[in-house]
Amino acid sequence: MKTVLITGAASGIGLATAKRLSATMQVVIADRNIAGAREAAQAIKAQGGKAVAVEVDVASKAAVTAMVKEATDMVGDIHALFCNAGISPKLPFEEWSEADWDSVIHTHIKGVFFCTQAILPQMCARHSGAIVTTGSDYSITGHPQGSGYAAAKAGIYALTKSLALEFAPFNIRCNSVGPGPIETPLLRKGKSDADWAHHKAKRGERVPMGRLGQPEEVASVVDFLLSERASYITGQIIHPNGGSVMW
Amino acid sequence: MSKGTVVLTGIGSGIGFETARCLLSEGYRILGFDIARGRFDELSGDCTFVELDVRDFQRQKEAIESEARSHIMTGLVACAGIIQRRPYLELDEETFDRHLDINLKGPFFACQAMLPILRAQGKGSIVLFASSIARTGSATGAHYAATKGGILGLARTLALETARDGIRVNVVSPGVTDTPQPRGHATDEELYAKAAKVPLGRIGQPQDMAQAVTFLLSDDSSYITGQDLRITGGAGLF
Repeated sequence: MKTVLITGAASGIGLATAKRLSATMQVVIADRNIAGAREAAQAIKAQGGKAVAVEVDVASKAAVTAMVKEATDMVGDIHALFCNAGISPKLPFEEWSEADWDSVIHTHIKGVFFCTQAILPQMCARHSGAIVTTGSDYSITGHPQGSGYAAAKAGIYALTKSLALEFAPFNIRCNSVGPGPIETPLLRKGKSDADWAHHKAKRGERVPMGRLGQPEEVASVVDFLLSERASYITGQIIHPNGGSVMW
Repeated sequence: MSKGTVVLTGIGSGIGFETARCLLSEGYRILGFDIARGRFDELSGDCTFVELDVRDFQRQKEAIESEARSHIMTGLVACAGIIQRRPYLELDEETFDRHLDINLKGPFFACQAMLPILRAQGKGSIVLFASSIARTGSATGAHYAATKGGILGLARTLALETARDGIRVNVVSPGVTDTPQPRGHATDEELYAKAAKVPLGRIGQPQDMAQAVTFLLSDDSSYITGQDLRITGGAGLF
């Protein structure tokens, strides 16, 4: 059975993907929130899947290196990687502090950089591997009040394409999934029930399909991209976004 | 249990044939069109062949409507297409029209025939074929590139017009693929030599495209519409 490591796997898109992939793979649930990661691993095991939980702040190289060692000690080879951990502060541009900027850029771009750099050597040695990163519609369109987030997501896409080119000779594919508005804790953060219901309806109305997406609708795309069904697809970004952005 | 009928143009060879094989193995019924049976008889499963030219819009429409009277319709996959390379200044109007009619107008009217049926069902998925050339261009392929660029515009517009009706419209854009089509202007040797320019080190196989179509027809892509899956082995990233 192959093993996939997923960062940001304790909630939202990461969790839905962990659950989906646990039908066919062993899953390493990596998250800053170790209690949530353990809970997710427990839920997968309760369904008959194989999962382990590890703690990591992907913005820290030392933490990522330690996490990958801990994970490989527990599960052995890691065959697939889903770099998904992310944060999404929304602030008017003039209010972005350097700390806000660093935390967004470090979590997203450095997070992907550290995780891929830690796992690619073993994929190269096996001459086989698949990586998916989480981009966003905003990597293409930009986002008011989310300048750092949009910049980070665009950076992830450029990084992913570069990895696709550099590691194609090693039979390693790297793609990005660029979700539109998805019903996740990240999108809901800080909103009351009433605000959330209002936001969901209003935001959904702006999507051609007329609704927000579900985390499972992103998980199925990640599953496709990591699988042999996508064996000739690399360097691409696929957008489960209800038709929000087409390019 | 059948997953319903997929109408598939260009079933006789190449990507169309392989896509039919893949979809049949997944439990779909196939209504296939082509100007000749080609490899159709190699297919096993629930499939029907109708010999027609996709430029015969009326017959194409009648065949789709006739099928819909007795079957659930799942979607449309428009693979039929041609490329006859010409230096731009040697491109005559007849050649230009033939490419436009087969590559763009055929899918346009196939979609028009399918949409009322899918709308009435409240669900459906359409996959049109463009090409990486739609974005990159290709010397001696101006007319072909124009038709495939047209497919991108058509698909996005249809995606917007049908998004609230449970219908999804997407595109697959292959890079160089191992089919009879490029052999009209390239030897086997020339075709396989193109692998050197592909990061993954090989040209595409019809199976690569078939699996993407299968994904786009399935509920695994339920939040994907108006998108273009570029299946190029990493060639032509931008």
